[in-house]
Amino acid sequence: MGMAFLEIEQVQFTYPGRAPVVNGVDWRMPAGEFHCLLGRSGCGKTTLLKLAAGLLRPQAGRILLRGGELAAPGPQLGFMFQAPTLLEWHSVLGNVLLPVSLQRRPRPQDEQRALQLLAQLGLAEHAKHYPRQLSGGQQSRVALARALLLEPPLLLLDEPFAALDAITRAELQDDLLRTCRALGTTVLFVTHDINEAVYLGDRIALMHGGRIVDDIPIALPAPRSQAMRHGPAFNEYCARVRASMDRAGA
Amino acid sequence: MAAALLLVLLGLWELVVRSSGLSALVLPAPSAVATALWSGLASGYFWPHMAATLQALVLGLAAGAVVGLLTGMALAESVLLERVLKPYVIVSQVVPKLALAPLFVLWFGFGLLPTVLITALICFFPLMENTLTGLRQVDAQRLQLFRMLGATRLQTLLRLKLPTGLPAILAGLRVAVVLALVGVVVAEFMGASRGLGAVVIAAQGMMDTTLMFAALVLIAGIGLLLYQGCLLLERRLLRAHAFFPDHA
Repeated sequence: MGMAFLEIEQVQFTYPGRAPVVNGVDWRMPAGEFHCLLGRSGCGKTTLLKLAAGLLRPQAGRILLRGGELAAPGPQLGFMFQAPTLLEWHSVLGNVLLPVSLQRRPRPQDEQRALQLLAQLGLAEHAKHYPRQLSGGQQSRVALARALLLEPPLLLLDEPFAALDAITRAELQDDLLRTCRALGTTVLFVTHDINEAVYLGDRIALMHGGRIVDDIPIALPAPRSQAMRHGPAFNEYCARVRASMDRAGA
Repeated sequence: MAAALLLVLLGLWELVVRSSGLSALVLPAPSAVATALWSGLASGYFWPHMAATLQALVLGLAAGAVVGLLTGMALAESVLLERVLKPYVIVSQVVPKLALAPLFVLWFGFGLLPTVLITALICFFPLMENTLTGLRQVDAQRLQLFRMLGATRLQTLLRLKLPTGLPAILAGLRVAVVLALVGVVVAEFMGASRGLGAVVIAAQGMMDTTLMFAALVLIAGIGLLLYQGCLLLERRLLRAHAFFPDHA
């Protein structure tokens, strides 16, 4: 077995005066794979994601990125939050360029790259608009473009589409899959939605009570298409994951 | 509507003064005030006084606002600094600053300096308080975003916290401008030979109530213009903040 791209080893995290939120998690992610971290609210999945991002430091265990210990968050990681977290006083283009403009003055090729990403996400004509002029789905797309601007090898997403309506969410899921496949990005996606996890993931880590209680590979053909959601294979996976969640909760 | 009401009120005022035969010493008619105002402006009597008032106002406002902004930023960034300094700042605000005017005249003599100092003191607090509150309004996710993107502390302050707090800071500036005008005029009552406040006191000495009213009209006019200026500034600087989805 080759070296994993992201390796989580016996990681533990506790907020002061409470039970451990993440309690001895092991997980390996090979490069280029799309993994979903699935669980009910409060199971520790967001905390685990923040540990993987370097926003929190584990009290025990370690996290290795390409074999090296994760030092600090930085532009080598893309991150998408539950809310789009755009800056209202910047245009769409300015928001997408933020990862660059915090390091140096953006060059014309940076702008071109940003505009190209926006075009891929169907936002070409919104580059000059301000975030408050956009719909929720458009704002999420801008946040996705921002996360992908520096083509980070690892993308971490924390229920980024939870607030969107079903149709917009499905569109964004396809956008995300397409863009990440094209860039070869390794993705860890946190969600509480079984359907979403099965549709997106090559593998699902089921989390409960701070531990990973099940590891379910999803062998649906790639690229995924919305029609698959109605097929028997897809629904069988959903039923399996659901059953596993119920066992963990019981 | 508001302008129509003003006309009606002025008309009533004129009517009452004329019909009751009230002395101009007690309440001059609006027409007399307008005449005094016009002749004062035309003869050039008011201009140096307006210039003096505006100069003190602008200097005091600028000094107080800048110091207030910087102090607010420092207190927002450092919990230690806030814990140590905040009680003193609050105590200093409980002392009525206008009551310090005689003391300042004693220390700094008559003229521009005590007026500017009092105005600056008055402007300091709303700016500091609103900056402190505004900078603290940043939500945790945005701070994490900046951490993820490797932003320095200074970048986080200048590119995230300050723009987030800008609406609150500008609201503080609007309050400061109005208070500053009061500060300047009252300080001029006590320690100045020039300025509209000094004109009011001189008019009182000469029992020239009409002149006093004319000066008050000018003070009110300056206040209105400054307030409108603040609103204009807010509208320009907060253009992007003000967009809402239904405008799209």
